[in-house]
Amino acid sequence: MTEMLRDKVRKISQHLRPNTRLVNYYWQRTRRNKLAVSGLAFIIFLVVLAIIGPSFTLDPTAVNFEKKNMPPVGFTIEQSLYSIETDESTTKEISGTWEHPLGTDSKGRDMLAMIVSGARVSLLVGLIATGIAIILGTIIGVLSAYLGGWVDNALMRFTDIMMTFPFFLLLVLIIFIFGPSLAFIVLAIGLTGWTGTARLIRSESLSLRTREFIVAAKALGASDNRVIFRHLIPNVMSLIIVMATLSIPGVILAEAALSFIGLGDPTVPSWGIILEAGQHSLNTAWWVAVEPGVMLFLTVLAFNFLGDGLRDAFDPKSNI
Amino acid sequence: MLNHNLLQIKNLKKYYPVTAGFFSRHIGDIKAVDGVTFDISEREIIGLVGESGCGKSTLGRTIPRLEEPTSGEILYKGTDVTRLDNKELRELRREIQIIFQDPDASLDPRMTAGDSICEPLIIHKIGTERERIDRIAELMEQVGLESGQANLYPHEFSGGQKQRIGIARALAMNPKLIIADEPVSALDVSIQAQILNLMMDIQERFGLAYLLIAHDLSVIRHMAQRVTIMYLGKIVELANNKDLFENPLHPYTEALLSAVPSFKQKDKARILLHGDVPSPLNPPPGCHFHPRCHRVIPICKQEEPELAEIAEGHFVACHLYNQTNQSE
Amino acid sequence: MDNIILKVSNLKTYFFTGRGIVKAVDGVDFELRRGECLCLVGESGCGKTVTALSILRLFDSPPGKIVDGQISYDGLNLTKCSSKQLRQIRGKDIAIVFQEAQSALNPVLTIGDQIIEQIKNHLPLDDSKARHRAITLLSEMGIPSAERVMSYYPHQLSGGMKQRVLIAISLSCDPQILIADEPTTAVDVTIKAQILDIFRELKASRQMSTIFITHDLAVVAEIGDRAVVMYGGKDVETASVSEIIGNPKHPYTSGLIECLPGASNSTGRLVSIPGTTPNPTEMPQGCAFHPRCPKAMKICSQKEPPETTISKEHKVSCHLYPC
Repeated sequence: MTEMLRDKVRKISQHLRPNTRLVNYYWQRTRRNKLAVSGLAFIIFLVVLAIIGPSFTLDPTAVNFEKKNMPPVGFTIEQSLYSIETDESTTKEISGTWEHPLGTDSKGRDMLAMIVSGARVSLLVGLIATGIAIILGTIIGVLSAYLGGWVDNALMRFTDIMMTFPFFLLLVLIIFIFGPSLAFIVLAIGLTGWTGTARLIRSESLSLRTREFIVAAKALGASDNRVIFRHLIPNVMSLIIVMATLSIPGVILAEAALSFIGLGDPTVPSWGIILEAGQHSLNTAWWVAVEPGVMLFLTVLAFNFLGDGLRDAFDPKSNI
Repeated sequence: MLNHNLLQIKNLKKYYPVTAGFFSRHIGDIKAVDGVTFDISEREIIGLVGESGCGKSTLGRTIPRLEEPTSGEILYKGTDVTRLDNKELRELRREIQIIFQDPDASLDPRMTAGDSICEPLIIHKIGTERERIDRIAELMEQVGLESGQANLYPHEFSGGQKQRIGIARALAMNPKLIIADEPVSALDVSIQAQILNLMMDIQERFGLAYLLIAHDLSVIRHMAQRVTIMYLGKIVELANNKDLFENPLHPYTEALLSAVPSFKQKDKARILLHGDVPSPLNPPPGCHFHPRCHRVIPICKQEEPELAEIAEGHFVACHLYNQTNQSE
Repeated sequence: MDNIILKVSNLKTYFFTGRGIVKAVDGVDFELRRGECLCLVGESGCGKTVTALSILRLFDSPPGKIVDGQISYDGLNLTKCSSKQLRQIRGKDIAIVFQEAQSALNPVLTIGDQIIEQIKNHLPLDDSKARHRAITLLSEMGIPSAERVMSYYPHQLSGGMKQRVLIAISLSCDPQILIADEPTTAVDVTIKAQILDIFRELKASRQMSTIFITHDLAVVAEIGDRAVVMYGGKDVETASVSEIIGNPKHPYTSGLIECLPGASNSTGRLVSIPGTTPNPTEMPQGCAFHPRCPKAMKICSQKEPPETTISKEHKVSCHLYPC
């Protein structure tokens, strides 16, 4: 039994495996889009940062009140200290040092370490939650399109109902009930974010279903199973990749937003959490809010550029 | 000799129900194929001609049950195709194959040429891996491609080459009947000639029968031994190639033949048909062609004419030739 | 030369894409005379459509660009004139009818709206006069109950009717030149005959000068006065239609004629031209046709053939006919 299953999985993954020459062809087309390439470069940088970064940085959770609110390297600010004993405010000039190149926050934690750890969190959330959403959306979309009839009706009405729930409030509700752990956040985002994908995959599958090569496969005697896995899904793959790439920024922002309103996982320093802390000290320590904000902005931009570039590269009608 | 028993179609109908309204009331049918009867012999090339909406493509897809027939019989070598179960149908698919019109759309863009050609072998579990590779090479050479190109993707081939891949794929199972649905209309003229030659070569070599569906009468004239003309789901004339082109009987056939531009008869008198093909949802009463017919007589508006054999092997569905009418 | 209404000289339109430079039109010369039907003949990729688009500069401007050549019309050089001048010419003096009637009509406007819009764009007519003109045109095109059709949407019409509506729109401002891009290619045989009939009528009643683009030599024989055969972005042979069909000089022209199924009376193998049309980014050296030419000589792969005048009306670019 498990032998059969393993065989089946192997066969399916064989067909879904990207063929090197096709990948090369699409890569050539993507390469010509400078924005997409710069997006990709940033993402690679981020991934590397997330993987090996934490080994090179300080401990992001190490609290050190002596060094609190230090600015980044190259900046000098005036900090005023109020002493209860003397009832005086003295101002002191503090400059950034290379020990904390991006400064520290109000508890003296190293910003660089926190940003790097935040990168790891954001990417993990982005990839896993998107993965869940895409797989769910694809299964529902393809089944709906291929089987048609009442199955299609039922699945699509279910999708409609899911879509009518305000996505964000649903998230808030889930987190509120189950507690703010990162695992729940990822699961919640994945289980609520598949609807758009399902719709798009369904409509693409519907139009593919009547394409002649699908009819040709049936004319050769292919079973429904074979048509779905060998022909339909590989041809929807490019849409899946584009959807995934363009969904990731939304997911990352969703996690950041949740953290910003206080529903994030406080034990894991993500960009949203840092932002939340930083919003209170915009006057005195602007970098605490600005740095994660800039990182979020660049990350979202990078994924969007890459996603757009991929979409153009996969579209046979665009003249690249 | 023509023994007319490879494929026999009897009163085949394919209707598409049309529903309207909130409760999906059945308000009528699109009668795509409306009672078609003819047969094909082994090694015969029979041409099926008509304009858009006449049902020729639907007929081509209904024969191997890619569309389920609404009623009628399809007898392949004596067995009724309409009654086969899935397993037997799959066996049948080895013997009846299809070549499609658009070479771009009929190949899976994510499969290499070799993959596409060998797919029928995989589906029907024929041959070992080694044997399949040999068969792919053999087929590619038979259709005029280099076996080294088996690893290329469809977008790396030209239109004519893609059509050759489609033909190789259809040949993989050694079929007896190939339904060619407008096989050359999407190709350039110089490539059309190459593909038509190829089709004739393999027909001779492998003893195939063709149901050649086309709207280009010069292609049909060149290749088909017998020709069927369809209009709005019905056969209006069926005859040998020579008889049809030299002595067309049905007014629609006459109009079709005179409409073909040719450089031999530059200023010939042309029979121009008025208007357009009516909708298959609401065909005119009586003979469906009567509103556009240049030889219409009163009975045409009332009764549908039956397909009758007027001369040997020459069938027409037209009141002008209906013996009983003429004698009245 | 009062007779020549449009003259194209050494037109070169290139497309600068990421894959390389596509030399869609690479040195095309021809003239259109008043009242004649000139056919541009060739297969896909030969540049005939881009030539037509270049006359009115209707291609996408990056990546396309007219890099050389002149198009003389009414004292203007259309390759260099301003956009404003060009816009006044489009539709009014030179009109173009496209191949896919489906996509050339706006699906959310009625037929009447579309014709009237075109009329009022160029002619100073008020609403009722414009409407009257539109209805007259539709009837001229053989569209029954023209007044009712004015309020129809494109999807309510059949393919043949849509094509006729397109032709009516193009004629609405009485253009001097009509460019028709494969108007009979995507339609059924009987509709094809109707449309060809319309063009013949136009020539007879309005002395319309037409550039008719097609790949179908039989259509050329029916309706053309002169023909320009194109291959690989160049014009390879220009002559009257009877000369082209009866006395073709260029091997490609004779190849095209011979490979038509209706050409020879025998059944059996058709004559065909081996190979495929060249990839526009990788044109062969020398004569673009030489890899497929049954009469290719050594010089054909080295030098481009010069244009030779065989007779007053007959020009050919082939090394078989040196100047």
